[in-house]
Amino acid sequence: MSASVRGRVWLEKLAAGGAPVAGLPPSVLASDTAIDGHAVRVIAVVPDTHARFARARNGEVGIDEGFGLARAIRATPQGSAILAIVDVPGQAFGTREEAVGLQRALAASAEAYVLARRGGHPVLALVVGKAISGAFLAHGLQAGWIGALDDGAIEIHVMSEPAVARVTRMEREDLARVAREVPATARDIKTFATFGAIDRIFEVSDPDAPSGADVSRVLQTLAQVLREPELGLRDPVERLARPQAQATRAIARRVRDELQAQWDA
Amino acid sequence: MSLLLAESFAERGARERAQSLLDAQSARELIGPFARLSSPYLAAQGVVAQSDDGTVVMRGTLGGERACVVATDGRFLGGSIGEIGGAKIAGALELARRDFERGTPTRMVLALDTGGIRLQEANLGILAVTEICDAIVALRMLMPVVAVIAGRVGVYGGLSLSTALCSSIIVSEGARVGLNGPDVVETESGIEEMDSSDRPLIWRVTGGRMRFEAGFASELVPDDVQAIRAAVEHAFTHPRPLPPLEPPEFPDPRLERDAFLRAMGIEP
Repeated sequence: MSASVRGRVWLEKLAAGGAPVAGLPPSVLASDTAIDGHAVRVIAVVPDTHARFARARNGEVGIDEGFGLARAIRATPQGSAILAIVDVPGQAFGTREEAVGLQRALAASAEAYVLARRGGHPVLALVVGKAISGAFLAHGLQAGWIGALDDGAIEIHVMSEPAVARVTRMEREDLARVAREVPATARDIKTFATFGAIDRIFEVSDPDAPSGADVSRVLQTLAQVLREPELGLRDPVERLARPQAQATRAIARRVRDELQAQWDA
Repeated sequence: MSLLLAESFAERGARERAQSLLDAQSARELIGPFARLSSPYLAAQGVVAQSDDGTVVMRGTLGGERACVVATDGRFLGGSIGEIGGAKIAGALELARRDFERGTPTRMVLALDTGGIRLQEANLGILAVTEICDAIVALRMLMPVVAVIAGRVGVYGGLSLSTALCSSIIVSEGARVGLNGPDVVETESGIEEMDSSDRPLIWRVTGGRMRFEAGFASELVPDDVQAIRAAVEHAFTHPRPLPPLEPPEFPDPRLERDAFLRAMGIEP
């Protein structure tokens, strides 16, 4: 598997001229920049071929990445928003990681994003590559506003197809058929957006090497979002009320309505 | 010293587990099986849906205080969390927070037995788990949120991340906790990384005792209803904070796998 360069490329473009944040593992990049006068800490997980954990060398979120993200998020300057650049092919799949407690590393960054958002830092995310499973839970999904590139290479899912086939004992051809019939199992960004969690999809000329026009269009939208800080402060549950979610998440709303009606009965 | 025989928690179903953690005669199920709220996504995938979607919400009292227990059924699709189960957990946490703000705190217990997000409803599951994580942290800032991991499956996947956010984690020796299940590690990284048929290794790496000794759980309990119930009540009356989510001490991961595990105190 060749490691993706997108996280680094988009961080460098969107935070051009920014001040790099020190004290992080090489696989976690953070840069303090300004977008249209708004202070933003831009954070990405990137491949590190020398990472000390061998299962986290392709941009996966492992032990050092989860705790490293948490450190970068917790130290966000007062008054600064956060922008998570998401290009994460998954969490680290390793015995060493499990022994050290990988779930705690990913919880550390998810918790840091929640506390930052609830503490008044608008949290935005831009999905530029893969956004997979625990890695996306740890880096991106807790954002109040999420944008994504319109690109066929972007995958959003909770488990790779071979692993799903093994766990569900289904053939891979059947999984492809199911993805068409049951959108909840699809892996593309357009389908994921139908559930109401994606606020904006950007068409770009080349997601791996964005043009100046691509970058300035994204920056323009980010500037608009930053002018309305409440957008980046929205809790994930607010996604249920979005227009796109009216039909696709009706059951989740019904469950909450019934729970509330019966809570004190 | 009581001479009563231990009553297994793990052998009970989700409904009985939730009941057993609440005060006698106080349990009342919300959106029970007769509400017929079952997943519409499973039939197309060759799976028969269950009328409670494998997640049970019980209101009642715990130590005389208002309480809610949410329990997942590890016997239905591995206790996996889809749209309905996820909304039950997140919705209950949201209502507990509302109760606190209204001055009627409700003790929240998550008795989880789950392999993680339900693959048959993946996108809806991951969105629900995002809401669950947010709701746990928001409630935990106000009052304890207690996780009980004492089932046959344990807790894996996105829900292991969620439970790591709880203020107290009670584990049994028979439970396992990890992010990636052994099958998934083996499929993704090869059999040298993880042999999913090596049961003893899996227990030594992810078992409840190891997790407790590493400081990742607040309490290690036997598989006994009364002991677990007492530990849950204690977690509310005498909260003992877990260590903050910081990297623990660990050997250099560049060590060969078995040497690394040995240095962690795990005999491979």
